[in-house]
Amino acid sequence: MGTNRRKFLNSLLGIGGIGALSAIIYPIMSYLVPPKIAEVKVNSLKVGPVSDFANINSKIVKFGRTPVILLKDNQGNFKALSATCTHLDCIVQFDNEQQQILCACHGGRYDLTGKNVSGPPPKPLKEFNVNIIDNEIRITSQEA
Amino acid sequence: MNINTKFICNIFAIVLVFTAITFANDNLQSAQNSKKYTDECIKCHSENDMMPEHFSENDIHLQNGLSCAGCHGGLSTSADEEIAMSKKNGFVGVPTKKEIPNFCGKCHSDISKMQVFQARISTDQVSQYYISKHGMQLKIGNKDVATCIDCHTSHSILPASDTRSTVYAANIPNTCNNCHGNSDLMNKYNLKSNQVEEYSKGVHGIALLEKHDNSAPACNDCHGNHGAAPPGVKSISHICGSCHVNNMNFFNNSNMAEPFAGLEIKACEQCHGNHLIAKPSDEMLNVKTSTTCTECHDKGEDGYIASEMFYEKLTQLSELYDSTKAMSEKIAIIGMNNIEIEYELKNVKQALIQSRTLVHTFDTSKVVGRTNEGVLASLNALKLADHEIEEHDNRRIGYGISTLILILLAGALYLKIKGLNT
Repeated sequence: MGTNRRKFLNSLLGIGGIGALSAIIYPIMSYLVPPKIAEVKVNSLKVGPVSDFANINSKIVKFGRTPVILLKDNQGNFKALSATCTHLDCIVQFDNEQQQILCACHGGRYDLTGKNVSGPPPKPLKEFNVNIIDNEIRITSQEA
Repeated sequence: MNINTKFICNIFAIVLVFTAITFANDNLQSAQNSKKYTDECIKCHSENDMMPEHFSENDIHLQNGLSCAGCHGGLSTSADEEIAMSKKNGFVGVPTKKEIPNFCGKCHSDISKMQVFQARISTDQVSQYYISKHGMQLKIGNKDVATCIDCHTSHSILPASDTRSTVYAANIPNTCNNCHGNSDLMNKYNLKSNQVEEYSKGVHGIALLEKHDNSAPACNDCHGNHGAAPPGVKSISHICGSCHVNNMNFFNNSNMAEPFAGLEIKACEQCHGNHLIAKPSDEMLNVKTSTTCTECHDKGEDGYIASEMFYEKLTQLSELYDSTKAMSEKIAIIGMNNIEIEYELKNVKQALIQSRTLVHTFDTSKVVGRTNEGVLASLNALKLADHEIEEHDNRRIGYGISTLILILLAGALYLKIKGLNT
């Protein structure tokens, strides 16, 4: 009877030991060989208060891995567009004099809606949504 | 009835039924065509199987209510051939090749007629045509040249925006090649006949024909369409510059513009070619392997030295960009954050692209200045990468130590429990 009880307890301890060892080994293995999970996608970005744009009419912000150009037109409306030129991926800039978006690499130009109007860019700039919530500018992806 | 006779009878019956169906179908088609068109020209020509070759119901003229008589004259409401096709009723028949431009121009040069279909339509096609090489040759009676119908077809004309159209961007090279690819025809005029073959291997042809990028230029974007003419020495940089704006401005303001014009050297074409425009590479500046600069500049000359410097600086930055990119990818693989490194990489890439464009200024200080900015951005990215790797190593060592402690603790606990039991 005593031997049976000891056998049962040893088995229980053995099973518990294997479980505990697995609980240690599994995270170690996961750490050493990271799973190929996709990076968390940024869908929304708080840019800052509207007052930041009192004296400027464009700003390039980091929307995850995507640079986004935030523009303010003469009526005070905001527009957010991808800041990556569709030609060779250079970062575009706002040309205040021409009221256009300019890519300095090859002189490509876009109008303020992001449409390619001159030079080599083959496609328009991707558009992002702009919302103003409690006087704070938020950019959201249109795919979100 | 034996088996063979039965088999032959069955085959005969099948053929009979099939013939009857085909005949009925043809009659039905003909009847449908007759019913569909109220125009007597189409009715009669279609019933008598005399429709023009390549006639398409999708033809833009037909779709807009303009039928045969709109171009050829005559009385389309009369079923009587004599009346319908009488000169009295304005029938002009098929125009000669020489008559074609003005034949189309009857409407296409008349703004009051064309505005009905499109408010901002241009009506200068015929006048442009007559100042083109094609038009000038046609005027003096050359029947080899292209007229309106050679590019647009005569009875299956589709708008340029229609992918089936012969003048749709991606179809234009083939349309031009119908004549310009004919070596017998081109030899008569001492013209090459491999332009489209060359174009399709060039950077523009690959973009348009393989990558389906309709913004890439086809033949007409450089040569013009109705007023087609080969670009001259003075016009070539403006033609390329309509897309490559910075390159044109840099070149035109450089100290090379004047000697090029003076020696009648075609600006962009001299280095990049015309139809077979290869993707530009830094190797073009390598004086050891390329003749882009050395064709005119001998060793020791300013142009030769500048080319050497451009090549050295650009390859240095390009290699640095590649190694930084590889480092960024490594950071991502080990699960660390490389977003900031990627942003710096964008700056490096931008500096590299701009430096390559600045080569067209032929100003070493500008190219060196921009490449140095790229080198700095690259070094900054590498610094960030080193920091991430250090952080990764520290985490790994820390995790190893804590795991060891946990294992020791578990072992000690096991021994303790074992001791209590005995």
